[in-house]
Amino acid sequence: MPSVCFYFEVHQPYRVRNYDVFQIGRDHNYFDEKLNAEVMRKVARKCYLPTNAKMLELIERHQGRFKISYAITGVALEQMQLYAPEVVESFQKLAKTGCVEFVGETYYHSLSVLYDVSEFKEQVQMHAKLMKQLFGVTPTFFRNTELIYDDRIGREVAKLGYKGMIAEGADDILGWRSPNFVYKANGAPEGQDMALLLKNYRLSDDIAFRFSNRGWADFPLTADKFANWVHQVSGNGDTVNLFMDYETFGEHQWEETGIFQFLDYMPEAILRHPDWSFKTPSETVASYPWVAPMAFPRTVSWADAERDLTAWRGNEMQTRALERIFIIGERIKRRNNPALLALWRKLTTSDHFYYMCTKWFSDGDVHAYFSPYESPYEAFINYMNALTDLEDSVLQPARASGDDRQRNAAIS
Amino acid sequence: MSDSQRIEVLMLGWEYPPHISGGLGTACEGLTTALAPLGVGIDFVVPHLYGGEHAPHMRLSSPDVSLRALDPLAWPSNYAGDLGTLAEDPASQPPAAVQQAAATVALTRIPAFLSPYMRPEEYAFLIKALEAGDDTALRELLGPTAPLFEPGAAASASDARPGLDRRGPHYGDDLFSEVMRYAERVAIWSRTHRPQVVHAHDWMAFPAATRVAHLHGIPMIAHVHSLEQDRSGAGANHTIVNIEGAGLRAATRVVAVSHYTARMINQLHGIPFENIDVVHNGAYTRKTVSAYREESQDDRPMVLFLGRITFQKGPDYFVEAAAKVLEQVPNARFVMAGNGDMLPRLQHRVHELGIAQAFEFPGFVRGTDVERLFSTADAYVMPSVSEPFGISALEAMSYETPVVLSRQSGASEILNHALKVDFWDVNRLAAQIVAILRYPELRTSIVDMAREEVRRVHWEAAAVKVKRAYQRVLGGN
Repeated sequence: MPSVCFYFEVHQPYRVRNYDVFQIGRDHNYFDEKLNAEVMRKVARKCYLPTNAKMLELIERHQGRFKISYAITGVALEQMQLYAPEVVESFQKLAKTGCVEFVGETYYHSLSVLYDVSEFKEQVQMHAKLMKQLFGVTPTFFRNTELIYDDRIGREVAKLGYKGMIAEGADDILGWRSPNFVYKANGAPEGQDMALLLKNYRLSDDIAFRFSNRGWADFPLTADKFANWVHQVSGNGDTVNLFMDYETFGEHQWEETGIFQFLDYMPEAILRHPDWSFKTPSETVASYPWVAPMAFPRTVSWADAERDLTAWRGNEMQTRALERIFIIGERIKRRNNPALLALWRKLTTSDHFYYMCTKWFSDGDVHAYFSPYESPYEAFINYMNALTDLEDSVLQPARASGDDRQRNAAIS
Repeated sequence: MSDSQRIEVLMLGWEYPPHISGGLGTACEGLTTALAPLGVGIDFVVPHLYGGEHAPHMRLSSPDVSLRALDPLAWPSNYAGDLGTLAEDPASQPPAAVQQAAATVALTRIPAFLSPYMRPEEYAFLIKALEAGDDTALRELLGPTAPLFEPGAAASASDARPGLDRRGPHYGDDLFSEVMRYAERVAIWSRTHRPQVVHAHDWMAFPAATRVAHLHGIPMIAHVHSLEQDRSGAGANHTIVNIEGAGLRAATRVVAVSHYTARMINQLHGIPFENIDVVHNGAYTRKTVSAYREESQDDRPMVLFLGRITFQKGPDYFVEAAAKVLEQVPNARFVMAGNGDMLPRLQHRVHELGIAQAFEFPGFVRGTDVERLFSTADAYVMPSVSEPFGISALEAMSYETPVVLSRQSGASEILNHALKVDFWDVNRLAAQIVAILRYPELRTSIVDMAREEVRRVHWEAAAVKVKRAYQRVLGGN
């Protein structure tokens, strides 16, 4: 009896403001509060609030047969609390239905697992604590930033006690195998086996990317058509894993495209087939035994056709910025200053490096990526200037004590 | 008309490489080189030819009467190697390419005074200096290597002062009569030709094109590389504006080098947008001249300004930004290459700011000096107040030098891999320069991407659009 596993990523970074070299040493506010507030309020209005309301309605309408899961980053939740607290409440309402699973990840949506494993663990624990505090449950399932995954990362996550993890169903990893089964992480430590759920990227992207594409042969996508594709998996798989950004609803696909009507009818269309149901990730791995271990010899993400890390570290600017932020982590921690630590961690968020990506520019297609900056170069300059200020004003031993006091005043 | 049909074009310019005063001659060379293979036959006419022009893809002429074949051995050294096109071996004089071209190119005896960018008062000053035999004054205005010398005389001489040709009936009393005389001579010259379209580059060639269009009853294309407004701002010369406007209105279609320029043409001269085709300039890709970088002894970072030192180019913003850059990068040096009416004022200003020791003013540079500057610069800055296109930004990119350019430029419409600023935002301009000097990864990433970009911005694309404009005025679609 196969099922559909829905998982949504909810994330908003703290965007770095236009911070030029002349502000170094003079101004320790790095983030664009105005822009961050605007984006959060806009996305809350267009996506989070209407979609949460729709999800709640669907869960009630289907009396527990419609189930979904979320990973909501700590930085997104912080900004919701600051700028749109009603969004947090609507997620709490969803949590109370018992039909929603909250998946763990790094609090800061960071690339820490690639640079600093102990920092990674701390950010994961912070996130788990926040989930417990806001939604009353400690996550047992995990997703890493941008679905970045390989065998080593699987091992680290398994060691933290997670029962399962979400990853990309990349073609070169799967080979002839199907993403529609439960797999096992390769090389997890003895006694700490961990399940893997792999994204069915074709069906996921039909909703997330192609839904409103008029050039697509299958446009328009109706719930019946989509349900029919899902039903075709019958007898040939246990689970259809549909993983996507939550902002698909109302933000990437505008309301005018009919995405909410699609969402409204889709559970019913899938449930019309008597064999099919919806399951959360934990229920999925509890229901189906894993069929085989799945090795990830290379690091995979869910980004672009390449499904690799080049969106975050594909050029020298990105590599340099990443090295520099993580290299000062230890010194930051030695300061024992919670506000400073939080500030540094906000700078580990993956989006900062994504904004520096130049690869979409190579074919002159500037509009293919979303960024608050005019160019990847501006993103890099702002970020590096902020980082220089952080190092100069906070970490210079000679001036440290006085500056620390000043900084506490400035950022608390 | 079909695509395969040959189109005969009479193209009117004001200068042709290597003897150029700005970007116009380079643009004409790039455009015609790419048009020729598309089945466009070009008669390119300029007021004066100096020899050394290399244009095997078309017929390059001057309407002057006193033409003679050139003895290649008679070339003074400063004719070689302009803007890198002939720079394979800067030491040879004249280079092989010049010798080869010399056989097909005619030469006039008129000295090189006229520049499409010259102010009428500069022209008057020049005429005076010429008549008085004041070479120092001429040098000041035209730059140290401008072709003042009459080639034959220069070659013959250990003569301490190679003679200028002052026999004078060849030039008019002022710039405007020179422009009108050019129009007359072109009209007369064109009677023995059968062009289908006349295509004129910038205002100085518009009266000639208008005459030719009327005479032959053929369509006229007015190609705008820069407007009087761009060059002079509020100080625009009304006569020039009038000649420009009359030419644009007489034209069947107008070609603008950027959307920026198209908007200006529409605002200033009321030409409707549907009569304007925007055709961005192209660029040549070059081999990086890494040898220059290696031989450079100076490891202080160098920031380059290269262009006319006039209002239009925003050189004052460069100086003000430099002072701010030096607060952050005290060992930076700044090279301002070029001549112009603002030069003395800026030299004074750098003293006033106390940053003269960081500045070099080499004057007008050409040939291998241009290559060396672009190759050794750590950043090229183009802070233009009003820049119809700004081909030097592409040039800098082709030498793998990162560019900071004014948003008020046509080039910024098509370039992604450059840092862009508003010319008046001196702080931002300085901040971007500092970023390039401070973060080597930024430079590497920009240069890596810019290399690809310059390859995409090529003259072939421009030529296709220009040919389409020809077909359109000839009654095709």
